[in-house]
Amino acid sequence: MIPAKKNHSAFVRTDLLDRVGIYLVGAVLVVIGDFVSDEFLTVTNLLSVLNAVALLGIVATGMAFVTYSGNMADLSMPSIMAFSGIICVSALPLGFTVALTAGILAGLLIGAMNGFIVGRFNANPILWTLAVTFFMEGFMRFAWSNNQVYPDIEPGTAGFKLIGLFRMSIGSVPLVVVVMVLLFIAGHFVIVHTRFGIESKLVGSSKPAARTTGIDVSRVILLDFLVAAFCASIAGIFLTSMNKLGVFYLGKGYDFKAVTAVVIGGMTLRGGRGTMPGVLGGVLVIGLLTNIMTFMGIGAFEQNIVTGGVFIAVVGLHQRQLCRRGKDYA
Amino acid sequence: MPESDTIGIALKMHGVSKRYQGTLAVDRVDFEAYAGEVHVLMGENGAGKSTLMKILAGSFNDYIGSIVIGQKEVLLHSPAKARECGVGMIYQELSVARPISIAENLLVGRLPYRYGFWLDKKAMYRQSQQLLHKVGLDIDPWKTIGEISQHEAQLVEIARILGVNPCILVMDEPTSALSRREVQCLFARMRQLKNRGITILYISHHLPEVFEIADRITIMRDGRIVATKSIHEVTPPMLVQMMVGKTLEKPVVSPTRKIGEPVLKVKHLTRNGFFSNVSFHACKGEILGIAGLTGAGRTDIARSLCGLAPYDRGTVELEGQRLRRQSYSDAIKHGLMYLSEDRKIDGLFLRLSIKQNLISATLQRNTHCGLYTANHEAQITSDLIEKLGIVASSVSQEVSNLSGGNQQKVLLGKWIAADPRVLILDEPTRGVDVKARVTIHRVVRDLVEEGRTVLLISSDLPELVGLSDRVIVLHNGRLAGEMNKTQLSEESVLLAMNGEVV
Repeated sequence: MIPAKKNHSAFVRTDLLDRVGIYLVGAVLVVIGDFVSDEFLTVTNLLSVLNAVALLGIVATGMAFVTYSGNMADLSMPSIMAFSGIICVSALPLGFTVALTAGILAGLLIGAMNGFIVGRFNANPILWTLAVTFFMEGFMRFAWSNNQVYPDIEPGTAGFKLIGLFRMSIGSVPLVVVVMVLLFIAGHFVIVHTRFGIESKLVGSSKPAARTTGIDVSRVILLDFLVAAFCASIAGIFLTSMNKLGVFYLGKGYDFKAVTAVVIGGMTLRGGRGTMPGVLGGVLVIGLLTNIMTFMGIGAFEQNIVTGGVFIAVVGLHQRQLCRRGKDYA
Repeated sequence: MPESDTIGIALKMHGVSKRYQGTLAVDRVDFEAYAGEVHVLMGENGAGKSTLMKILAGSFNDYIGSIVIGQKEVLLHSPAKARECGVGMIYQELSVARPISIAENLLVGRLPYRYGFWLDKKAMYRQSQQLLHKVGLDIDPWKTIGEISQHEAQLVEIARILGVNPCILVMDEPTSALSRREVQCLFARMRQLKNRGITILYISHHLPEVFEIADRITIMRDGRIVATKSIHEVTPPMLVQMMVGKTLEKPVVSPTRKIGEPVLKVKHLTRNGFFSNVSFHACKGEILGIAGLTGAGRTDIARSLCGLAPYDRGTVELEGQRLRRQSYSDAIKHGLMYLSEDRKIDGLFLRLSIKQNLISATLQRNTHCGLYTANHEAQITSDLIEKLGIVASSVSQEVSNLSGGNQQKVLLGKWIAADPRVLILDEPTRGVDVKARVTIHRVVRDLVEEGRTVLLISSDLPELVGLSDRVIVLHNGRLAGEMNKTQLSEESVLLAMNGEVV
């Protein structure tokens, strides 16, 4: 019998290769990037890579909880981002702090609904959140008459503060990057050290078994969707700040990119597998890939083709691996 | 038995081997079966009996060796080929489709048509009635499988196989889901088939059944045949010894334990449509057996007790405290835990490691302010692995790769780790080999020795009678009797289970 490493919970042990694999890919990309352009390996460029993936990183942190607990993906995250943004801008006359809180609460409301329906009534998470996205888009267009909402940008107003949020830096590091890193650290801590994190893993591995182990499965799933909604609202407010407007289509595309980051970072869609550092690696790899393609002069549409292709390749390889090992049970 | 009569030999296998990646599951087996006999195959899990039968059913195209059916040498490289050669296989799990009619199930693949397009319903009705008659079933072929009982569904499955006129019928543990009375009916049908000259190959773990039905018996171990004997030449201890490969120590009949005051009190528990007005108590240091036929409500009561399912009326008290209705986490907090019936569906986390499974139920206890502390994880795990004799390459091995017996031990270990006061065991040894069964029984005795309480639900009567200090019997969702150690016997429990007055 091989004893497991001491003082290290069995719930967080993963294969070494699983853990560092994505960072090896990242390292290869860095070497390629260095060949492609001399400007690639500069502090300014690497910071701009971080800045570019920060929003994706925040969304992916939330998405990871949904995937980890065996619910595949929350496709309503873009509409949560847009909704938080619009509510935040609309609430600006009440003050900056109130507006931020309102934006986040609005997002949490949708998350609570998702989590409740999926957790309690066993709805298919993909279909349910897809329906919510459809509904929310219609709702936002109806309620704001298909208009964009603009914050007041006079200096000294709450709107001015909101616009400044995305452009704020701590030292030379943008605030949004700091928030992303903090969220990742918090997410990692939650998954490794809290009962909620470990219960998410057990629920993700087998819902019926989790139930007979005395875990309140509905509650765990509710919390997972709340975490996702929380992260989406924060990203949505940053995105609104960046664009200086709130509108129903903000956040489009973040759902799929976030799932890609989560999956190539080693969290399988069947749940219960993977780590937060892996997801961060996935986010960074996507950032590096995009950055290098931009240096090479590849356009945005072609970049989408590459990102989609990477996703297909990773999921395909993974499925093949499972079939080989004869583990194709759900 | 026609010992030297070669015409009587229905099946002859010579030098048959089958290799799964790396391991020889069946190793140069020579096997003979006569026409018109019930030939039982026995062996521990992984002894190779199921693999041998699958070869016969045409599941593999890469076995080695020769197989002669009747007088012809045959190559059984596909299920269709095996069917053509007269081999009919009945698997452990039913393969009839629930939502469609009996007739369609019976005639699948050869439904009668009129003008090549319209289904000939009259012919369907006639043909399926003929088939049902063969197994002695008198039911309407237009009923769906969902409407009939488990045992009738089993007979329908047999009838379907008989529809293709097999000369060899293979049955892989067909009785594991049947109640006692249903098993009797099945055996009666098997005897009829046997008298018609059909060879029945029968895989079973269940000793009393084997002695009831077998003409000859073959014991396998580690992919080889240990012996083939006539049933009159052997005794149960001999069989067990041949299966295990060494003399099994007699189960130690523990000196009468001191049984303490009542710990669990259940009063007037009712769940409409499942069970009604069930009252009983269980004491400290006691094994309380719960007997009943399938469908008598044993599992339903257990799930309602611990909060996995609701109940409509009544109370559950653990050490004087009333447990909340339908809150399993509350029950666990108070020390009432439930080892579920089907380890693969809702018992184990198959994709997680042995260690993760073993400590999964300690989560609640090791959490403070939402934070989980991994104290003593390694210690608890290695203690349990030693105590239960779990065989694995490492503690991080995935549970899905373990044998049935080892999986069941991990499941039991998971609850022992959670330190239960009252543990409900639902079929703790189903589909488990003899050695694992002995270990599990020893561990259960140790549990009550430590002053815990065990509620034992089991369809395995020798197990129930051998382990329990007291047995309550359920019949149609009601309490039908209670027996203490002195009154306890397989016969008395059996009678009560079937609703006879004790």
